[in-house]
Amino acid sequence: MSHEPVLQAERLVKIYRTDSVETPALRGVDLVIQKGEFTAVAGPSGSGKSTLLHLLGGLDKPTSGEVFLEGKPLSKLHPEALARLRLKKIGFVFQAYNLIPVLTVLENTAFVLELQGVPYRERIKRARAILAELGIEKYADQYPHRLSGGEQQRVAVARAVVGEPAVVLADEPTANLDGENSRALIDLMRRLNETRGTTFLFATHDMRLLDRVNRLLTLEDGRITSDRRQA
Amino acid sequence: MRYALRNLRRARRRALYTFLAAFYPALILVIMFGIVAGELRGMFESATKLETGHLQIRGGEELAGGALPLFELPDELIFRLREDAAIRYWTVRLDLPALAAAGSRSYGVLVQGVEPERIAEISPIPSLISQGSYITGPGEAVVGEELARLLDIEVGDSLVLLSAHPEAGMGAGVAKVVGIFQAPQAEMGRTVVQVHLDTARKWVRRPNAATAVVVFVNGVSGPWDAWRINQAVEELQRTLPQGLVVKDFEELAPELTLYMRIARPVLAAFSGIFFVLGGLVVLNAFYLSVLERTRELGVIRALGASRRWIMRAILGEALLLSGCGAALGGLLGAGIVFLVEQLGGLRMPGAYSEFLRAFGMEPILHLRVTPWEVLGSVLAMVGVGVLAAWYPAWKAARLEPVEAMRHVT
Repeated sequence: MSHEPVLQAERLVKIYRTDSVETPALRGVDLVIQKGEFTAVAGPSGSGKSTLLHLLGGLDKPTSGEVFLEGKPLSKLHPEALARLRLKKIGFVFQAYNLIPVLTVLENTAFVLELQGVPYRERIKRARAILAELGIEKYADQYPHRLSGGEQQRVAVARAVVGEPAVVLADEPTANLDGENSRALIDLMRRLNETRGTTFLFATHDMRLLDRVNRLLTLEDGRITSDRRQA
Repeated sequence: MRYALRNLRRARRRALYTFLAAFYPALILVIMFGIVAGELRGMFESATKLETGHLQIRGGEELAGGALPLFELPDELIFRLREDAAIRYWTVRLDLPALAAAGSRSYGVLVQGVEPERIAEISPIPSLISQGSYITGPGEAVVGEELARLLDIEVGDSLVLLSAHPEAGMGAGVAKVVGIFQAPQAEMGRTVVQVHLDTARKWVRRPNAATAVVVFVNGVSGPWDAWRINQAVEELQRTLPQGLVVKDFEELAPELTLYMRIARPVLAAFSGIFFVLGGLVVLNAFYLSVLERTRELGVIRALGASRRWIMRAILGEALLLSGCGAALGGLLGAGIVFLVEQLGGLRMPGAYSEFLRAFGMEPILHLRVTPWEVLGSVLAMVGVGVLAAWYPAWKAARLEPVEAMRHVT
């Protein structure tokens, strides 16, 4: 793990406004994620975990404060520039897998590479390689609906890392999985972190999964209440 | 494009509706093109055969009262017409306004002095004889059924004809009615009397006179070949003896020209209704499709797809569906037109048949459609399909990833 910041949040505030009601989701978060870290953001439901990940991933704009990705501030970027940045630098894993149902496992995995403009042969080669690394190559030609939840989420992880992003953000990736599959998925992510050096930041409310992380952030009521590093 | 292709499988019924929305307008437009071309050909043929020819060589502009000026037929003109490879057929006519009388009845007519041995090629009258036979020599006449009824004459009766041409003065003669024809137009059946050219020349006391040389040009199958006629007109005008003028069918039958000019714009406007309806179906289908896929499109945006990529994916689907639909519709339309033509043309129903007869057309339409018309119809429908999908595609491209991913269908 190097001491090179990949993601940085400064006094991050997010307030959701509906009519005259203001709901603060984040109340001034300061955070630095170093390259190669395997970090979990834990906290109860409604603590602001998903909001934090959305802001760090450039999917949403903060009410105030700034997010820096590899030193570059995100708030001033045009939506298209932000999309390009996400494509090249950030991998996403969502709670509900969110694979594209009309594409096969191989095509889903290669999808990000297609968006990046990688030539067909190369993207298929790279997608197959990552599927093999994650032990799901045998599902390459299957459609997502034929796979179990755990298998679908592995494909989502493959899609997130295939483009070799600077950081992978995973929003409650185990929320729809049973204990065994949850554990297996976190182990898989940890393995990728160790073998490829990919930086991971994932949100979870499952305390049983936290023994594998080397950094644990606790978020409560929109604030980081603890930031603990562990071996 | 793979994503666009696979999406077609997701909502097959909607894809089918979109396909049909492009298929039917293209099919209908191509068939309509075929029918309008058939109508135009029918009108062109009847106008040129019954009245004008493709072009006429005349002695000048019409005289007061509508009579045509007389001119002496120059030998060099006859030689020129015989030798010209562009000319398919020509015949001399001498038209005289006249009064036809039989017994105590008389009626104003147009006497057409014709060459019986040449006229069959270009005039339908010899084939429309319902009683007796067509004229074979001087002193004989054929009249329409309506005129025969008005004058109360039959085949074998004598008909007194009193011609009055502004340049030749009065002339008179008696012709024997050898045949009565059933005219396709009431006006024609009431006013046209055909006699031998020599008979008419005798009445104007000029043995080599004519009022028109009616000319048919080679390679003309309908109004779309008007360029050949124009070419022949230009060629003739350059070499024609002084004093003679050439008139093409557009000048000779202005009402036909007007109809030909408005027929296609009217068809285009009429077809526009089908295109608008087709476009609305495509718009609706794609709007629903985008609505259903909002969450998925949000994920794709989150992964880093540009707005242009989303637009391209959705417009690609529209292009694929409307392209296939329109191409198949256009090809089927062309196939139907071809098949109908192979089977002898389209026999029109009763009322429409009467309408066509009134315009001197046979009640069978010979359909015709050109590859350009098929291509134009297909491309127009593809354009409408893509344009209709533009708004849903634009909406999809502007989805905010987080909002879209929260969307519940």
